[in-house]
Amino acid sequence: MNAPGAVTRRPRLLPSIVPITAVLAIAAALAVPGFTSGPNLSNVGQQAAMLLMLSMPMTLVIMSEGLDLSAGALLSLCGVVLAKVLVAGAGLPLALLASMGIGLVLGLLNGVLVSVLTLPPFVVTLGTLGIAQGAALVVTDGNAVTGIGPQAASFYALAPLGVPVSLLIALATWGLTHVLLYHTRFGNSVFAIGGHRDALVLAGVRVHLYHIAIYALMGLVVGVTALLLTGRMNSGHPTVAIGMEFDAIAAVVLGGTAFERGDGRLYGTVFGVATIGIVRNALNLMGIESSMQVVSIGVLVIVVIFLDSSRKQKGRAA
Amino acid sequence: MSRAAQRDIQPRSGLAGLRERLGDEGFAFGLRIILILGIGVFLSASTQGQSFLSTANILNVLRQASLIFLLASGLTLVILAGGFDLSVASNLTLSACLAAGVMKATGSPLLGAAVALGCSTFAGLCNGMAVTLLRLPPFLATYGTLWILQGLAFHYMGGNEIFGFPPAFRLLGTGFVLGIPVPVYLMALVLALGTVVTRHLNIGQEIYAIGANPVAARLSGIPVRRRQLAVYTASGLMAGVAALVYLARVNSADSGIGEPLLLPAIAAILIGGTSLFGGVGSVLGTVAGSVILALVINGMNLLNVKSTWQPLVVGVVLLVAVLADLLSRGRRERIG
Amino acid sequence: MTSTVTTAERSAAGKDPAPLLELREVCKSFPGVRALDGVSMQIHAHEVHMLLGENGAGKSSLIKVLYGAYAADSGEIWCDGRRVHISAPAAARALGIAVIFQEFSLVPYLDIAQNIYLGREPRHRIAGLVDRRRMHAAAREVLGSLELDYDTRTLAVDLGVAQQQMVEIAKALSQDARIVVMDEPTASISDREAEALFRVIRRLREAGVAIVYISHRMKEVFDLGDRITVLRDGRRVASLRAGEATPEALIGMMVGRPVGAVYERQRFPVPGELALEVRGLATDTGVKGVDLNVRAGEIVGLSGLVGAGRTEVARAVFGADPIVAGEVRIFGEPVKGGPETVARRGVGLLPENRKQEGLALLRSVQDNLLSASLWKLFPRGWFKASAARTHAQTMIDALSIATPDARRRVRMLSGGSQQKTVLGKWLSAGCRLFIFDEPTRGIDVGAKAEVFALIEELVAKGAAVLLISSELAEIVHVCDRAYVMRDGSISGELARAELSEQKILWLAMHGAVSHAGAAA
Repeated sequence: MNAPGAVTRRPRLLPSIVPITAVLAIAAALAVPGFTSGPNLSNVGQQAAMLLMLSMPMTLVIMSEGLDLSAGALLSLCGVVLAKVLVAGAGLPLALLASMGIGLVLGLLNGVLVSVLTLPPFVVTLGTLGIAQGAALVVTDGNAVTGIGPQAASFYALAPLGVPVSLLIALATWGLTHVLLYHTRFGNSVFAIGGHRDALVLAGVRVHLYHIAIYALMGLVVGVTALLLTGRMNSGHPTVAIGMEFDAIAAVVLGGTAFERGDGRLYGTVFGVATIGIVRNALNLMGIESSMQVVSIGVLVIVVIFLDSSRKQKGRAA
Repeated sequence: MSRAAQRDIQPRSGLAGLRERLGDEGFAFGLRIILILGIGVFLSASTQGQSFLSTANILNVLRQASLIFLLASGLTLVILAGGFDLSVASNLTLSACLAAGVMKATGSPLLGAAVALGCSTFAGLCNGMAVTLLRLPPFLATYGTLWILQGLAFHYMGGNEIFGFPPAFRLLGTGFVLGIPVPVYLMALVLALGTVVTRHLNIGQEIYAIGANPVAARLSGIPVRRRQLAVYTASGLMAGVAALVYLARVNSADSGIGEPLLLPAIAAILIGGTSLFGGVGSVLGTVAGSVILALVINGMNLLNVKSTWQPLVVGVVLLVAVLADLLSRGRRERIG
Repeated sequence: MTSTVTTAERSAAGKDPAPLLELREVCKSFPGVRALDGVSMQIHAHEVHMLLGENGAGKSSLIKVLYGAYAADSGEIWCDGRRVHISAPAAARALGIAVIFQEFSLVPYLDIAQNIYLGREPRHRIAGLVDRRRMHAAAREVLGSLELDYDTRTLAVDLGVAQQQMVEIAKALSQDARIVVMDEPTASISDREAEALFRVIRRLREAGVAIVYISHRMKEVFDLGDRITVLRDGRRVASLRAGEATPEALIGMMVGRPVGAVYERQRFPVPGELALEVRGLATDTGVKGVDLNVRAGEIVGLSGLVGAGRTEVARAVFGADPIVAGEVRIFGEPVKGGPETVARRGVGLLPENRKQEGLALLRSVQDNLLSASLWKLFPRGWFKASAARTHAQTMIDALSIATPDARRRVRMLSGGSQQKTVLGKWLSAGCRLFIFDEPTRGIDVGAKAEVFALIEELVAKGAAVLLISSELAEIVHVCDRAYVMRDGSISGELARAELSEQKILWLAMHGAVSHAGAAA
């Protein structure tokens, strides 16, 4: 609470993830051989690019008191669709459009079920997870989609000014999300839907439109991410991206976006993505397999949540 | 007494009256029985009666239903109390893998079972503490546990499979007593226990009260957090039991064993009439839901539907069941 | 009084006779209660129209109808000589109506400027992006008119209560409305901020804006008001010019009620042991040092305006909210802990919000009746359905709960029967100290009498009752004695002989019994 009289903008506490990222980066550089090599860092960047793309709209979803468990399955589905369109002989732009279309449709489905029917997000997206995964399996018969031609892979290999195109697209997504969240009415509504939905209603705003848009945006971005995924793997596979939503959600939570009251910071998510990228890469180099990486990330999330909330408590008592 | 008050005390007529006389659960169960019979009739007709109505097939369906039910039974209690547990399937996975490993190493099914049940119950307890003490929203807390348990299982198995368990142990999943598969007896046993807890113990009444209105329950002097802790622990325990039976049935363990069981378990509970919002439903309903789901899966197999369609169908069934739950509830709420 | 002279001058100067906004015979009902019963009201430009009435008189409902949050059941709204329908907040805004609610609706992690302009943020012409500079400048201007120099980049979550209220006021002012409705805007702010607000109100009035102002403070009513409307029981009792009114007359209009419409207490047993003793109770929820006690055989009233802290005292006593300071003794023993502990000492709380906090609506009457007494009826933990059924039926008969069957969902019962179910819940637990929070809200007259008869029976049998009620007549006719709360503490205690609606309302509004003003 402010002292009576002065009402000024209080500087917000830096999310705990920022120093943690720095510490982990330094630790990895010092302790893990090969971490700092050029090819490895490029690898980290490329891995992180896809995660960054998923985490940006996920931040908005979580800020609005929602959750999207279907992102990973949807990514696989969009990748498979993109691959199939390429196999059918169409060009990359058309394939991308198809992928984004599927993403948009399922995103809209999520949005309508959550906003208009007020169904709980985790159940809705659990259901769409099943649908997306099922659809991917059906379309591919459970097999990978190969023979997609060179377009996707060569796109992925582009590196304008030495920067991998995947990273560029990811950074552009960050930029776009930043503008949407902090400089548009839509962005303000994201804060409001999570923080005090009634305020929007009382202000005469059509809340449903914005709420659905949040999930639709997620679907669209997933559709674009599928381009990177397919390019990287040079094929489509129905179950390859299962579990990526965990990393995305973890990145958002690590970044300090709370699950209530519309408290969120986009740059925190970026640090969260960086942390996960560093941790996964370092553990990979040390020969620790994916499962334990997941456990480590889980533990890290708990630590950060704890740190963030106790710092907030202390801040309030001061 | 005013005329309005007098109108209040007349019993209701028609369908609503039938519903009142049977009680909510009786009515819901009746509907499910009709649905089961309906599916049964449909399947016998479409498969020319032979394959569906054979004893072997019916027993198969019942066994499949038991496997789903054992996992879903504990989760039913959690949902009745207004919570949720996304980690039951990963819990099953880890317990099954641990049991497998211990049995291979020591040759003792009992030791394997003890480790599995101990670990799964502890995981349930942790879920309960995360929800009651850390006040995390249930689905977020159990989502985290889901990944932690899954990760531990992956790590323990190291990408390998463990198979070949002592015949005595295998009886748990594949044995027959009096011509009926052992898992069905277990289903009956758990059903009986579950019914005792929910209908004949105070704690059952309290669970329903908490699920129906946790604020009113607290203000009625019910120890809400203690009960919540109990149901999450129970869910963990049942995941361990289900793990043992499943392991005995398939005779091999790998780190993906539980993953396809989560959606069917949730679907079974919802189809069985238990509301996601809490306070409504029954263990018996979950039995019915498990049977219905097993019939649907069995039907797809008999009708030669490709197995790749199954997750899709279950996903759609889940959404339909949630919608039906919402509509029957007649109002909207947010949970989690 | 200078303001009266100015008002008189203004009316003499011939103000616009046609009202800006008019309500004609507006009705709004909820199950069991008529919130608005044929209310007509005329709101004129260049006027501050004061709206008075005790709790439950219908003021909030009236505002919600004006703002489109509620749809009136019947009646008409006329604006600028045309019939209008206000079906949603957007429609009210379009007509130029702005409302300052008592409950804040600020988005915690948006800043002041974003909150003020939520949903109508000024935008750049290109790309439709929000024009932050213009928004903050406009926000600063609005705040400046309120003589505030808040940093408009401050997040709402960092604002104190008074500051939040000022931002809410700024929000309404920024809408350039023709009609501004204010629901107790000075409830949470300091005198200095209130003075600034009054200056703004006077400027608005000069400019032709119509202001509807709800207040419980007589000083404000006469300092600012040009016209006064008094509501009671959902009906308009009077509309008069400020110059024609006196505080005593207004209070009389707010409370006056035909005699005999309320339950009359028959017996007054001699008070027994001390059932409840509260010393220096303070909580985080707004209780600031409360002392009270209740003896067996007594019905002790706890009165005061909405927001005075009565429910918070009840919740703290029951263990539902943590106690920061002070002590609570139940039957002589100090008690600490949550509701599970307190309930087992023989205390029962019938919450104000009985549907959300007192009952599980989806469950049966039987289930609800037993929910607080499982530990007592089945001490070993074995729930026996047949015994439960019998017990429930006994309770249903004893309380005359109108249901054909103990298994009917409690949601379907009338308000009166629902309340009896909550009471039955505690009777089953062998409760000896009952805390009733607004027991007759939403209940028809016949059922109210039944509830009071039941309460009287309770104390005749030796129970102790703390009765929280906003209906002054109830307190006067039913209680042995009463405490009156104001702003989180007890402003006075009235013995049986002193109990009168006027005295209660005076204590609730002013904090001291003024012998010059309060006619008994």
